[in-house]
Amino acid sequence: MTDVTPPDSTVLRTGTLSWLLPRRSALAAVLLVPLIAVLIALAVMASSTGMSLSETVSGLLGTGDPGTVMIVRDFRLPRIFAGLMVGAALGIAGCLTQTLAGNRLATPDLVGVNDGATAAVVAAAAGSTTGMVGDWWLGPIGAAAAAVVVVLCAGGAGSAGYRVLVAGIGVSTFIGAVSDLIMSRENDNTAGGVFLWAVGSLNGRDWGVGTPLALVLLFLVPLALAVGHRLQLLRFDDDMAASLGVDLRRLRAGALALAVALAGTAVGVGGPIAFVALAAPVLAQRLAGPTRVPITGSALAGAALIAAADALGRVAAPVELPVGVVTSVLGGPFLLWVLFRPDRATGKA
Amino acid sequence: MTAEGRTVPWTTAGLLVLLLGLVVLSLLVGTGSSSAGRAWDFITGDAAARGDAQIRLAVMDVRLPRTIAALLVGTCLGAAGCLLQAATRNPLAETGLLGVNSGAAFAVVLGLTFFGADSPGALLVWALSGGMAASAVVLLFAGSGRTAGSPLRLVLAGSALGATFHGCTSYVLLGTRSTFDTYRYWTIGSLAGVEISDLVPLLPLVALGLLVALGCARPLSALGLGDDGARSLGHHPGRIRLVVAGAVSLLAGCAVAVAGPIAFLGLLAPYAARALTGPRMTAQLVLSAVIAADIMIVADILARIVIRPWETPVSVLLAFVGGPLLVWIARSDRLSTAGGTA
Repeated sequence: MTDVTPPDSTVLRTGTLSWLLPRRSALAAVLLVPLIAVLIALAVMASSTGMSLSETVSGLLGTGDPGTVMIVRDFRLPRIFAGLMVGAALGIAGCLTQTLAGNRLATPDLVGVNDGATAAVVAAAAGSTTGMVGDWWLGPIGAAAAAVVVVLCAGGAGSAGYRVLVAGIGVSTFIGAVSDLIMSRENDNTAGGVFLWAVGSLNGRDWGVGTPLALVLLFLVPLALAVGHRLQLLRFDDDMAASLGVDLRRLRAGALALAVALAGTAVGVGGPIAFVALAAPVLAQRLAGPTRVPITGSALAGAALIAAADALGRVAAPVELPVGVVTSVLGGPFLLWVLFRPDRATGKA
Repeated sequence: MTAEGRTVPWTTAGLLVLLLGLVVLSLLVGTGSSSAGRAWDFITGDAAARGDAQIRLAVMDVRLPRTIAALLVGTCLGAAGCLLQAATRNPLAETGLLGVNSGAAFAVVLGLTFFGADSPGALLVWALSGGMAASAVVLLFAGSGRTAGSPLRLVLAGSALGATFHGCTSYVLLGTRSTFDTYRYWTIGSLAGVEISDLVPLLPLVALGLLVALGCARPLSALGLGDDGARSLGHHPGRIRLVVAGAVSLLAGCAVAVAGPIAFLGLLAPYAARALTGPRMTAQLVLSAVIAADIMIVADILARIVIRPWETPVSVLLAFVGGPLLVWIARSDRLSTAGGTA
C-alpha cells in the first residue's frame, strides 16, 4: 500500500483510531499558547501608574495590599479574559467568512454584524433619557438581527457565500446610514459616548461580561472546529462535494451562521474592534501553511492580538487608548511586515 | 458580439439621457421660495426670470455648483471603482481601499485640530492632500519588493495602511471634543455649500484621472486574461496596476475632497456596470461612471427635498438609494452571475 499521508502531516494511531496531525499548524499552535501566556502576564502588569513584577504577583496571589489585589483581580484579570474571548471569536469568525468567500477582504462586518450592533447601541443611547450607552447585550442582538435581514435579503445563503456578502454590504450601508442619521441629531455627549464604543474598547468589562461570553464560546468553538474541517471541501466544486457526501449549501449556511454568532457576540462585548478579524486568519494562514482552514490558529492569533493591543493601550499614552485604536494603528504595519517578508516555505509574498 | 452586447450602446445612451434629465431637475428643485417654474424660465432664457436676482442666486450660485459637484463626484467614484476592481480582480474592492478615504479623514482631523482649518475650502485642500499622500504610501508599499504590483499585495497594503490611518484619526478625535463635532458632520458628507471656486482647481486633476483611466482600459482587459496572459500580449501587469492605482487615487481623492468619504458608490456602480456590459472594459468604465453620476445626482436631489427645509446628508441618502439597489443586483440571478463572482 502506498503512503497517502500529506507531506507536512503525521498520522497518530491508537488501535483502530487514527488522526491526521498537520505538523506545521500544530507547531504554530503550540508556540502561540506560551506567547499568549506571556502576553497575559504583561497585560496584568501593564498600567499607566506602573506596577512592579512582585506587586503583580502578590496581587494575583491575594497577598499584596488590598488596592493592588483589587486592581489585579477585579479589574485587570476579567478585562484581559474578556479581551482574549473577544479576540478568539473575531479570529474564528474572520477565518470562516474569508474561507467561505475565498476572499481576504471578506470580514464578518460585511454581513452587517458591526453596523447592526452599532445601530442597536446608537438607538438605545438615543432613546434613553440619559443618553448613555446601554448594556452590552444590545450589541449581539443588533448584530444577529442585522445578519438575519442580510440573509433574508440575499434570499438564503445562496449557492455561494458570495451573494450574502454583496447583499450584506448593501444592507450594512443602509443600517449604517440610519445610525449616522440618528447620531447627527444627537447631542455631543451621546455622540461622544457612542463614538468611544464604536472605536472598540474593553474598558470596564468585568466577569459579568466575560463569563457569559466564555459559555457562548464553549458552545460555538467546537462547532467552528468541526465546520472548519469540512470547509476544506470548498476547494472542490459542488458536484465533487456531493459525491463525497457533503451538502455544500448547508455547510455554507452553517458556517455563515457560526461566523455571525461569533462576531456578533464579540462586537457586542468589545465594540467593533478593527482589523482583528482580517488579520488573525491571515497570520494563522502564514503560520499554518497553505490549503488548511486555520480555525485554531485564527482563534489564538486573534486572542494574542487583542491581549497585546489592550495592554499596550494602557501604557502607550498618557491617556488610556481604547483597544480598537491600538489594533488599527499597529495592526496595519504589523500585517504588512508579516506579509511582505518572503515566506521561505512557499516562496510567496 | 452577443445579443446582450448589442444592447450596451442603448443602455449607455439611455443612462446618459437620464443623467441630462436629472441635471435639469437638479437645477429646478431646491429649498426656498423660488419655484421650479421660475427656475425653468431662467434656464430657458426668459428675460424676466433672467432679471430676477433671487432666482439667479438659487440657480446659478446654489444649485449649479452642487449639481456640478454631484456629477464630478459620481463620475470620479464610478470610474475609480471600476478601475480598482478590475486591477485587483476583486469585486469587493472599493476606492477607499487605497487609503484615500482614511488618509483624507486623518488630514482633515489634523487640519481641524492643529491648524485651525474650518472653512469648506480649507477642509477640501486638507482632504485632497491627505488622500493623495496616503495612497502614495500604499502604492509605495504595493509597488516595492519582488511581487511588486500583485493584486493581493495592493489589496492588503491598502486595507492595512487604511486601518492605521483610521486608528490615528480615532486617537486624535478621542482627545479633542471640538474636532470630533466638526468631523462627524464632515464624515457624513454633503454637497450643500459647495462653491464653483472650490471645484475649478479640481477639474484638471479629474480630467487627467479620467484620461489615464481610459488609456488603461485596453491593458486592463488584457489583465482579465490573467497575469501570464497579459504578459504574453506584451503588457507588464505590475506596472499597469500601479498606473491604475495612481489614477484611482487621483479620482477618489477629488471625490473625497468634495463630498467626504463616500466609498460605497465606488463599489456599487462598477458592480452594476459589469452586470450590464459583461467583460468589456471600456464599456464598463464609461457605464460605471455614468451610473455613479446618476445615483449621486438622485441622492443629492433627495437630500434637498426629503426633510425640507433642512438638508439630509447626501451619504445617508446614497445609502438609502444604493443599499437596496445593491441587494437587488445581488439577488438577480442573471445580473449577479454577470457581475462576476470572485
